[in-house]
Amino acid sequence: MAIDIKFIGKEYPAYTYDVSKEKIKEYAKAIKNLDPHYVDEEFAKKSKYGAIVAPPTFAVVFGAFLIEPVFLDKELNLNMAMLVHGEQEMDFFEVVKAGDSISTMAKISDIKNKEKLDTISVEVTSKNQHGRNVCRGVYTFVVRK
Amino acid sequence: MAITKGQTFQDSEVVDKYRTLYYAGASGDFNPIHIDPEFGKMVGLGGAILQGLCTMAFATRSVTKLIGDPGKLKKLKCRFSAPVMIEDTITMQGTVTDIKEGLGYIDLKVTTQTGAEVLQKVEAVVEV
Repeated sequence: MAIDIKFIGKEYPAYTYDVSKEKIKEYAKAIKNLDPHYVDEEFAKKSKYGAIVAPPTFAVVFGAFLIEPVFLDKELNLNMAMLVHGEQEMDFFEVVKAGDSISTMAKISDIKNKEKLDTISVEVTSKNQHGRNVCRGVYTFVVRK
Repeated sequence: MAITKGQTFQDSEVVDKYRTLYYAGASGDFNPIHIDPEFGKMVGLGGAILQGLCTMAFATRSVTKLIGDPGKLKKLKCRFSAPVMIEDTITMQGTVTDIKEGLGYIDLKVTTQTGAEVLQKVEAVVEV
């Protein structure tokens, strides 16, 4: 069944994620990126950031807390077995550091019904504890029919 | 590090057998298409496929390695155009296509050993 376009604009409750240096290191290892900015505390202290920073794509770790409710949304009722990630867009405004508290919001920004598939885009925006934007992501998923 | 228009760079990664599990643990993406080969086969993907965002993270690494400062990456976008399977070799071939008004524009070609483009329409923008 096609995804109803009436859900465009639907918002999901904000989530606040506390960034720990251990989680950054775990993520950096998982993506095989041992850049000292992410994993070397001595290097990080002396860097211009003064602390361990997260790889840019770490934004998907706190972003996931807003994507999961979309996937589990009974009203939206996505066919998860047929869903794959189609496109991803990320804009970065400020680095995320260990110790930051990141608040993220999400809304459905687009739904398209095509013959053999539907697409659904979720716009996710994150701010840090200073109220400054850190990242905007647009996740587009493809659901095969 | 200073980058110049026309500069090229390359990076690669072999997807080891357990990468999807490490990535699932770190990112929270435990979709069975990534961690359960039988499920992947059942839904027509031929096995477990790597999380697209993990491929994107490898692509991002090639760019942040080039610029030497992860805080200088301003934008990254891509389309996940073909699945990446376990034991595939992913190659990133980048070109700095333009530099203007303090920003560098990077084009990335991301392929597997078969030549399949696994990411398309990749755009990266960095501060220079």
